[in-house]
Amino acid sequence: MILDLSSSRDLLLALLPELVLTAWSLVLLLLIAWRHRTAADLRFAGCVTLAALASTAGAVWWLWWHAARAAPTPLAAMIAVDDFRFVTDWLFLGAAALTVLLSFNYLEREQLLIPEYHALIVFATLGMMLMGGGDDLIVVFLGLELLSVSVYVLAGINRKSAAGAEAAFKYFLLGAFASGFLLYGIALVYGATGTTGLRAIAAQVGAGAGGGTMLAIGLALLLIGFGFKVAAVPFHMWVPDVYDGSPTPVTAYMASGVKAAAFAALFRVLGEAFSAVAAWHEIVWWLAVATMVVGNLIALAQRAVKRMLAYSSVAHAGYLLVAVAAGPGPGSAAFLFYLVAYTLMTFGAFALLAAKGRQGERDVLIDDLAGLATRHPWLAFALAVCMLSLLGFPGTAGFIGKWYILAAATSAGQGGLAAALVLTSVISAGYYLPVIMAMYMKPEPSAEAHVGMRLGRLGYAVVTVCVAGLLFFGVRPNRLLDLARTGGVAGPPAPEAIPAAPAVSAAHAPTAR
Amino acid sequence: MYARWVLTALLVWPAVAAVAILIAPPRWAKHLGFVASLIEFAIAVPLWWTFVPSGGMQFVCDAPWIQVPLFGTGAPWSIHYTVGVDGISLFMVLLTTLLVPLSVLGSYSYITTRERAYYALLLVLTSGMIGVFVALDLFLFYVMWEVMLIPMYFIIGVWGGDSRLYAAIKFFIYTMFGSLLMLVAILALVYLVGQRTGIFSFDYFHLMRNLGDLGPLAFWLFAAFFLAFAIKVPMFPFHTWLPDAHVEAPTAGSVILAGILLKMGTYGFLRFAVPFFPAVALAPPVETAIVALSLVGILYGGLVAMVQPDFKKLIAYSSVAHLGFVMLGIWALTLQSVQGALLVMINHGISTGALFFLVGMIYERRHSRLIAAYGGIARVVPLFAAILTFVSLSSIGLPGTNGFVGEFLVLVGAFRTHPVAAGIAATGVIVAAAYLLWALQRVIFNPLDKPENEKLPDLTPRELAVLLPLVACIVWIGVYPKPILDRMEPAARQFIESVRPPGPTATAIAP
Repeated sequence: MILDLSSSRDLLLALLPELVLTAWSLVLLLLIAWRHRTAADLRFAGCVTLAALASTAGAVWWLWWHAARAAPTPLAAMIAVDDFRFVTDWLFLGAAALTVLLSFNYLEREQLLIPEYHALIVFATLGMMLMGGGDDLIVVFLGLELLSVSVYVLAGINRKSAAGAEAAFKYFLLGAFASGFLLYGIALVYGATGTTGLRAIAAQVGAGAGGGTMLAIGLALLLIGFGFKVAAVPFHMWVPDVYDGSPTPVTAYMASGVKAAAFAALFRVLGEAFSAVAAWHEIVWWLAVATMVVGNLIALAQRAVKRMLAYSSVAHAGYLLVAVAAGPGPGSAAFLFYLVAYTLMTFGAFALLAAKGRQGERDVLIDDLAGLATRHPWLAFALAVCMLSLLGFPGTAGFIGKWYILAAATSAGQGGLAAALVLTSVISAGYYLPVIMAMYMKPEPSAEAHVGMRLGRLGYAVVTVCVAGLLFFGVRPNRLLDLARTGGVAGPPAPEAIPAAPAVSAAHAPTAR
Repeated sequence: MYARWVLTALLVWPAVAAVAILIAPPRWAKHLGFVASLIEFAIAVPLWWTFVPSGGMQFVCDAPWIQVPLFGTGAPWSIHYTVGVDGISLFMVLLTTLLVPLSVLGSYSYITTRERAYYALLLVLTSGMIGVFVALDLFLFYVMWEVMLIPMYFIIGVWGGDSRLYAAIKFFIYTMFGSLLMLVAILALVYLVGQRTGIFSFDYFHLMRNLGDLGPLAFWLFAAFFLAFAIKVPMFPFHTWLPDAHVEAPTAGSVILAGILLKMGTYGFLRFAVPFFPAVALAPPVETAIVALSLVGILYGGLVAMVQPDFKKLIAYSSVAHLGFVMLGIWALTLQSVQGALLVMINHGISTGALFFLVGMIYERRHSRLIAAYGGIARVVPLFAAILTFVSLSSIGLPGTNGFVGEFLVLVGAFRTHPVAAGIAATGVIVAAAYLLWALQRVIFNPLDKPENEKLPDLTPRELAVLLPLVACIVWIGVYPKPILDRMEPAARQFIESVRPPGPTATAIAP
């Protein structure tokens, strides 16, 4: 199905998932306005959110099923219609759904009877979808802002918590700062090429226009802006405090969904607009190495589980940057697979952490998990699987993901980066294994140590889904790898869809499907 | 039927049995574990007769596993489930399946907590070890290589001694460090060969046939493989994880660690590192360095073993020395030395396994592993003393025992290509005699001057059942090793030919 984005009917079709979700968010806001007092209202809002996410995923599926593609004629289209967008959309929707499932129990336990929480998640997800699908720097920026503003609020949704306020404030200040960089970068790129459309930029760059300092500076600023959002070193300073202070489900959402959205936009921008510009390769190379080394080393020193996971998410951003450095083609396929695995393991781990934490969950130390295996063998097993998957151990999806990134990096001639990745992974054994050690090899400090660790039925469901997914995709990743591969092209639509666009096809070698 | 499925059965059966143990009531755990591992042994034993020595790779089973279409390459990266054994891996598989039931039986009274998990892990470990030895797809090999880490890590960390946490994490990180670099090397290898042939496959024989000349990159790839295997062996500067892991592990853990896990390193050299990169492995500086490290291992291991106050640590260091002989035998590259190396691998599993069992048995009675805590116990526990003496003599390499045959073959073979090294290695045998005989003297002879030792009970029938099969193997291999040597000879010959072709040049491999 070829959609001519200059006709409003086709444009609406192309935007169908976003429109569906927007409509649901308005319905949700309206419902919340009427019912916002009791725990039952909160659950109701959560259920509506799940329905919204599911129907949006259905809309995405409909487009995917009809193999929707954008016609190449308006070069400066606002939204991309390709498999990369569809697959990332599913990823964002899945992460949001897991967050909502995790939140039911958590919000009631923490007395956060704020149904707007769910509305904010919907808005944030909408922002993510715009980031993953935006074919224009302005759309990407708008998506980023929609996402960021919603998540600033979510980080501080617990108004009684000083740490939450600190997290929200810090995230807001640094996020605004990053947005400034990004916007200035967009302005400079516009100055250099006269357009903000990604494919139009590529055409300009391919035609030799604007290849100069201004474009390079603009690109560097864009990278800094994205670097903040994906928590690449040296722009990672906000991560530990923000992850630590936010409610645990929100932290999981930030670690998986928000980061995925920023990476998706990064892949699209670099792959579609700047694949002919060589300058970013070296910058990304250094970013990746610094992020892996610093993230893993600092994580090694953490005692609290949540902070450890925060730094580990910085390290994982480094692994994903290796995928970026491998080039947008193979890199984005590896990225998609890795993100599915990473989302599953992050949610598994945070779900268990949320169950363990009572009010002062910030203070759950690794040693506090001592003896969990004797008291809750299945929870301990689940957390152990998540840790091994984060470590990238064979038999789990985390290994296949890491392996795919390594394969992409080696086939792109980045053997050095691959070696850096595995060496820093060895460091990570130093902080993932102590969790397993505490659970299995240390005695329970007291008989009441794990009293009150309750996950709730939905929490169990989330954990079971995550662990089953990790183990299944660790052994039979074939279908998912296939999906990641077809979704992996962050480039122009398939070659048969571009009959007459010489400027574009000159800038990108058509990719065999 | 048997030929096609035996290896898959050997891989799957322990994993299935492990699940059954986890479900069954705890008091059945050890019996179920023992029966399951006996069945595993029974599945493996017919391999001995059905194996055709001149048949190359046999019992092959092959099925596609993962196909990953990668970008820019066009062709998919194909990963297969491919297993098979030849004259090198056959004995490793048989040794594994022999040692596991004995380890289970030897753990009956030692393991008293969380028995279900323990025996289940032991069986999962068996799957992983068999997998390492039979895998003919490098991806499968890597997965098995890492998978077997986890059960061992838990066995050391949960049922180990006082500083078990330290030992467990050290064991884990050392091994993982080496193996992850190997993973990158495997990927690079597949990519390079794939670029040349258009087939991106992890298949062992595909890679072997099409490696060709890799240029300067070969050195780095070899280095990555070398590191992974040398840590596992362990060769001299990479051995520091071994004493900790051995001392802290429960008896069965030590037996399996010494008997089988260490052999994975030398097996890796025989199967992958040397045949893949013969030009690098046999280049004069590399060869000299490795032979020198093997000699250092033999002498240093022996000398350090001599001063150990802890009997278990003494045996651990003696492993470093024994594995030095294996490395020397591989690099000497004569038929005798390679066969000798293979035989030392088997012998070390049997003798050192038996020694660890014996130390574990006396530890259960006396709760001390210090040599100084004993003395003169031959009068109290004559059976124990007799078997300990016999096994120690086999470990020293007394003629008539298995130890002699293996080390003699290594020395004879090495003497033809590396006379000086063989001469130095021979002194290692003397050192071995020194530390083991001295330890024997202090443990079972000398005056019986500790009152705690006067009431030690002798070996029980169960313990005898653990030790006697090993003693029988010691005598059998010592007196009549021919059936074993016959079965490994073609494989050893083929290994040498693949590394150093009979023709004038030593580099041409691609057809």
